Amino acid sequence: MSIVTDLLAKPGVIAAGEYAYRGDRFSYRGELSENHARVASIMCRATTMSVNMEASMLEALQPLSGLLPPRGWLVHGPGYTVCVVANVFCLLDNRKGSINDLVGFMCQALAAIPSDMI
Amino acid sequence: MTTLDDLMKLPGAMAAFEFRGSGEMLEHRIAYPDRINESTLDLLAHMCAANLSIATMQARGWEKVTGMEGFYPIQEFTLIGFDWSVVVSGLQREQYKQAGKFSLPPFMGVVLANESADYEAAFGILERKEPVP
Repeated sequence: MSIVTDLLAKPGVIAAGEYAYRGDRFSYRGELSENHARVASIMCRATTMSVNMEASMLEALQPLSGLLPPRGWLVHGPGYTVCVVANVFCLLDNRKGSINDLVGFMCQALAAIPSDMI
Repeated sequence: MTTLDDLMKLPGAMAAFEFRGSGEMLEHRIAYPDRINESTLDLLAHMCAANLSIATMQARGWEKVTGMEGFYPIQEFTLIGFDWSVVVSGLQREQYKQAGKFSLPPFMGVVLANESADYEAAFGILERKEPVP
């Protein structure tokens, strides 16, 4: 099974997908239109690239700071949470799922993904 | 007992800090100065201010584009690093805005070691409703 399939089986996950770091491809499954999934993948990729730049800057200031390479990020809203680890994103309904469980699963499942963003 | 002190009681808490919307760090607590120092925390505060602003813009735009609700206002932004994560929030400012206050409290954040990070517990403290003076 792919990680997207695994994620969709988790409680509260309404959509999940993957994007290419170079920005030319994305795929998704779940309760989003194709166009909205494209917008989501663009926003997720942009933020991922941004936090990688920030972590590199922090590393230059403080070598071995423990931030680089970043594994991912979360945006927690009142109803939904966007969870991104490596190049995989998912939308979680806060009432139905556990953020701790989801982050734990994603970090473990994607631990072996190379961090060079290719 | 301040919110910063409560954040420092979280499992794996390495540091907690307050910062302005401009990223300027105000108060802070550091548990392990050999792993996180003041200079690191200062740059981290600036990074977190930028990320919260961008995430807020994206949430606003996303809700307008899709018609979906439940993303705005951002409650927390979390950056998951290799060894540790940082969780930041400006939610208490929303209470002040709703009460018609012009002077807003600072943003707050906590650095947690990944192996013991409890993101939901951090959210719980950062979302706690404090009385608006």
